[in-house]
Formats: sequence, structure tokens, C-alpha cells
Amino acid sequence: MIEPIVVVSNIIDGLLMGLLYSLVALGLSLIFGLMDIINFAHGDFVMIGAYLAWILAMNFMVDPSVTALITVPLFFVIGLAVYKAVIEPILGAEPLIQIAVTVGLGFVLQNIALAIFHAEPRSYPAPALNFGINVGPITLTAAKLVAAAVSLASLLLIHYMLTRTKFGLAIRATSANRMVAPLMGINVGKVYAVVFGLGIALTALGAALYMSWGQVNPYLGASFSLLSWVIVAMGGLGGVVGVLASGLIVGVLEALGSTFITPSARMAVVYLAFFLLLWFRPRGLFARR
Amino acid sequence: MCASMLELKGIHAGYGEFRVLHDVNMHVDKGEIVALIGPNGAGKTTTLRTALGMTTLYEGKVFFKGEDITKVPTHKRVEKGIAMVPEGRGIFTPLTVYENLLAGAYTKRAEEKLQDSLEFVFTLFPRLKERKNQIAGTLSGGEAQMLAIARALMSRPELLLLDEPSLGLAPKIVLEVFDVIKRLREEGVTILIVEQHVKNSLETADRAYVMETGRIVLEGEARSLLKDERLKKAYLVI
Ligand SMILES: Nc1ncnc2c1ncn2[C@@H]1O[C@H](COP(=O)(O)OP(=O)(O)OP(=O)(O)O)[C@@H](O)[C@H]1O
Ligand SMILES: [Mg+2]
Repeated sequence: MIEPIVVVSNIIDGLLMGLLYSLVALGLSLIFGLMDIINFAHGDFVMIGAYLAWILAMNFMVDPSVTALITVPLFFVIGLAVYKAVIEPILGAEPLIQIAVTVGLGFVLQNIALAIFHAEPRSYPAPALNFGINVGPITLTAAKLVAAAVSLASLLLIHYMLTRTKFGLAIRATSANRMVAPLMGINVGKVYAVVFGLGIALTALGAALYMSWGQVNPYLGASFSLLSWVIVAMGGLGGVVGVLASGLIVGVLEALGSTFITPSARMAVVYLAFFLLLWFRPRGLFARR
Repeated sequence: MCASMLELKGIHAGYGEFRVLHDVNMHVDKGEIVALIGPNGAGKTTTLRTALGMTTLYEGKVFFKGEDITKVPTHKRVEKGIAMVPEGRGIFTPLTVYENLLAGAYTKRAEEKLQDSLEFVFTLFPRLKERKNQIAGTLSGGEAQMLAIARALMSRPELLLLDEPSLGLAPKIVLEVFDVIKRLREEGVTILIVEQHVKNSLETADRAYVMETGRIVLEGEARSLLKDERLKKAYLVI
């Protein structure tokens, strides 16, 4: 017997999570749209970011979400460095080489986490925001509300940056035609580096928000990577709006699948829906004909 | 000082291991219209791209207004005052017409003159003003070419490189393009143009270079080349 109230509360929970997933996936989407590189280590940056948030939270006894103030700028710089050291050398290389390099990067990050923290999950024992808020018969987690609100604000901010600022124009022009962009006076190398840094910074933000209630183990990256790929593939050419819409869909499917089938089937449900979508709209939800 | 606007000296260039240009020497003087013609695959596009630092340079030097810019990256050459309308137009199709023009004025120097430049290109191409907010990918071929030229002009170039601007256009539009080129010369823009329409371009240009398999094989006054028997045989019969 399925209670309507359970369905509704799952949908709301899924929407909240969907916003967080959109935030993480947006980084992957920007990087892929600009450089044609699929960063297979994307989720592993979320995982490292989550450990970092956990360490800082434990040391300073603050809620993990607050540590974003430190981890986001730090990850931006790390992103610049990773771009220079790992990504720039493989731009325009054979896809197989690009895959090998970014998958390898993901494994390195996982192994670092395994070596330092071992496999047992970590979570912040005294999260300030992990309490319920009752809205009528539905209970929402405050931490998830905060995460969703911050994610939405960040998505809107990046949408504004892309559509209304000069640097956003440079990003969109370079995404549209990277051969011609330098002819406008655009320093394409700089655009690439900054966008990669931004994409990695967003993983740190997502990770810090998530650690307000979640737990991290060295394999956390895999699920964030998978969700991000599905969201980007579904979002197609839709930009921030596309990522947001498909992130919400994925979040809701995951929540419903986890409750009404079994928690371990959550990814299977997401993938089933993804395959169905590809069947009917092979170029994503928002592709123009 | 009577330095050329653009000078290519002993250029050997290509793409990675693939050598295309062999000892190319040419110059474009201030106020000139120079045509570069030759058969498919001769290396005309490669020559223009080399002037902007977009190829692999094995040997030789590039000078802009007497300054050695051989090592200057592409985006900084644009800042210095060289612009190119690339082969195939290369407009940013997902962006609006207006955004394409804004992108053209990306450099600091160009941004300061944005309003002025917009007014200029809109009087040159009134169609673009009408279609300001349209997605560039929906423009017709002729309009897209106008946009590509307008976008290059937005960077306020002293030297404009045009790579087959009339390719695939209806004869009437081709004439319009050549009219614009003459008009630009009056505005003080120096022009190097690669063209398939050999007759039109030789009639418009002051001087011309003929390129075959990566080498300059003929050069001279455009008008005298028009009468050149060898050239007539090769191109004008079509
Ligand atoms: N990006 C590239 N990478 C490798 N080789 C290239 C590239 N672009 C052009 N070539 C090769 O360089 C040679 C010269 O090409 P280029 O485009 O300069 O000729 P073109 O004179 O402009 O010809 P067309 O009239 O067809 O435009 C050709 O053999 C071409 O295949
Ligand atoms: Mg060509």
C-alpha cells in the first residue's frame, strides 16, 4: 500500500537532492561543453572535497557546509593546477588517451583517500543542520533545504555569469567554436583553465553541503560521477537550465526508486529512465531538431 | 617609416609534421588590397592562418607594422589590430547576431569603441540590425557572411584577412561583398583577400600573389595579372 504522503515527501526530497546533483553536474557539463573532455574523475573530486570538509569540520567544530568558504577557493586553485598538469597535455588527444588519463586520475584520488582514511565511512557527528522541519505532515531535513537553496543560488549565479558577462560570452563563444574564438582576441587557454577550476570548485561546494548530513567513503565518487554523466547526457545542449531540469528529474527518480523498490536499486531506476529517454530522444531532452 | 602593414619572410609552415608552405615571401602595404589566389589545397588558408599564428611555423618571420610578431599568440595579434574572416565563416551559431558582434569586440581596445563600431557595421549591413536578436545559426548564407565580416570589423582591425568571403554566395551577394571590401579600403582598412572569384578579386585588388603547392609562383599588379596568359588559362576560363 503506497501512501500518497510518502510519495510527496519522496518527490520533495528528490527535488532537493536534484538541485545538489545539478550543481555537481554543471561543472562536468561546462568542462565537457568547452573542451570536449569527459572528466571521469569528476565524482572523485566530490569525494576528496567531502573528506576535506569533514576534516575541517572536525578540527574547527563547525558544520561541514560552512567549510565551503575554504574548500571552494582551494579547489578552484587545485582545479587550475590539475588543468595545467593533467588536462592541457591531453586536449585534442585521442579519446582513448583522454579516458585513460582522467580515469587514472580518479583512481589516484581514490587510492589517496583509501591510504589516509581507509574504507570505513566518515561523517560529522554533530551536524548543526541535521534536524527535521515539519511542513504539515511532511518532514524535511534542514541541511538538505540549505544545500538545495545554496545549489539553486549558485546555478542561477552561473547562469547569469554565462549569459550576461563578458567572460561568460567568451566561454559560450569558445564552446561554440574553439578554432575561431582566438580570432576575437579571446585567450582560449585561460578560458579553459578558469572553467576547469570553476568546475572543480563546484564539486567542493557540493561536497561541503552534502557532508552536513551525508557520509563519505573512498568510493563516494562513483555515484556522483554516474549521476553527473546521466544528468549531462540528458541535459544535452540545454546549458544551465538543461542541467537543472535533468538534475531534478534524476533526483526524483532516485528518491522514488530507493523508497519504493529498494535502496540498492536507486541507480538502476535512474539508468532505466535514462535508457528510455535515449531511446526516444537520443540527443537529450533539450536538443533542437 | 615605410614598413609594410604585414610582411611574411621566408615562411615554412604547416600543421604538425605536415609541411604546407615552402619559403613564402609576401607583403601587404598600408591601404592596399592584396589578393592571394591559387588552386584548391595550394596553401592560401594556411598562409592567412600563419599570419595570425595559428599554424606550426618551422622557419621564417611574421612582421606587423614593422614589429616582429612571430612569437606573439593569436589573441594578442588580434589585439594589435589584425582580424580574420575565416574560411567557412565560423560564426558562433548558438549565439545571437548581437552576441557574435560583442564577441568580435572582445579586446579592450575594441570594447572602448563598441558603440561606434556597432553603428558602423549596422550602417554597412542594415540586415544585421534587423536580425540583431536572432540566433546566428538561423541566418542565410549571405547574412552569415555579412555577420562574419561585421564581427571581424568589431575588433577595429588595421589589417583584415578575408578567406574566400564569397564562397557559396549568390552572384548578387558576391558583388555586395566586393562593394563592402572597396568601402572598407576607403575607411582605411588594409586588406588581404583569398578568393575563388579570381576575376572579381583581381579587378578589386591593387596587387596579387598566385600560390601553387605551397609556393608563390607569380606576383604583380592585379590589373596586369588579369591579362597574364598563364593565369587566364589556369583560372579565368572557368
Ligand atoms: N588543420 C589541418 N591539418 C592538417 N592539414 C591541413 C589542415 N588544414 C589544411 N591542411 C592541408 O594543407 C594543405 C593546404 O591547405 P589550405 O587549406 O591552406 O589550402 P587552400 O589553398 O586554402 O585551399 P582551398 O582553396 O581548398 O581552401 C592541404 O593539403 C590541406 O589538406
Ligand atoms: Mg582555403
